[in-house]
Amino acid sequence: MQFCTRHFGTIEYDPEAVFEFPAGLPGFEDQHRFLALRQPNIEPIVFLQSLDRPDLCFITLPVQTIEPGYRLAISAEDLRLLGLPEDRQPEMGRQVLCLAIVAVAEGRPPTANLLAPVVLNLENRRAVQAILSDSPYSHRHPLPGGGEEDTVCSSCGAGPARRS
Amino acid sequence: MLIVRRRAGQAVLIGDLVEIHVLEIAPGRVKLGVVAPREIPVLRAEVKLTRETNLAAAQGVPAEKLAELVRRLRGEAPRRRAAAPGAAGEPSEQP
Repeated sequence: MQFCTRHFGTIEYDPEAVFEFPAGLPGFEDQHRFLALRQPNIEPIVFLQSLDRPDLCFITLPVQTIEPGYRLAISAEDLRLLGLPEDRQPEMGRQVLCLAIVAVAEGRPPTANLLAPVVLNLENRRAVQAILSDSPYSHRHPLPGGGEEDTVCSSCGAGPARRS
Repeated sequence: MLIVRRRAGQAVLIGDLVEIHVLEIAPGRVKLGVVAPREIPVLRAEVKLTRETNLAAAQGVPAEKLAELVRRLRGEAPRRRAAAPGAAGEPSEQP
């Protein structure tokens, strides 16, 4: 199948690779079909391209690349939408892929929404943006790139360095 | 902001149509029941926050910002190279 996107031009895709969002995403409730696209030159970023709106493409990151110990707490309702058993959380990486949507605002460090990961069921291709209940995570989790994490030492002027 | 102290079993009324009942109080959390007409959406605040961040994220990310972010995530030193929707080539892999 072919689809003409705004950012990537015309792309060729396998209909079986399409992820179906039965409820859309908050703010985009009418968008139900997305492709998850990777490019080796900008790993680990994953693009979430709408197949209904050529100009709608979210930039996302697998949650573990941001927070290695990330814990899911998907609600029973969302587990049902994903076609998963409601009595346990799915296994990240194998059963589901969890992506955090990245937002970059002018003059602010980029942030990722760890409170509401996009959960893709790799087995049945159903997906949902799961707003976690009782989550310790923020909808604006700061990402590297704001410059704060590698500011130079104020007393000696040295950057992050190894002792020789 | 109006602040009201309530106990479990008590309620607050908003206008004639909306009732908020305090059902259960536990350390660190409270269970509320909301009675409202169908046309008044009742959402957890996180849904609104996520909607707002989604709308902001859909505005796109400038190519140079994205390239910078990728470099930081990979722990690479800064270099001048842009890669982003628009600047990027054919997507190669569909997980």
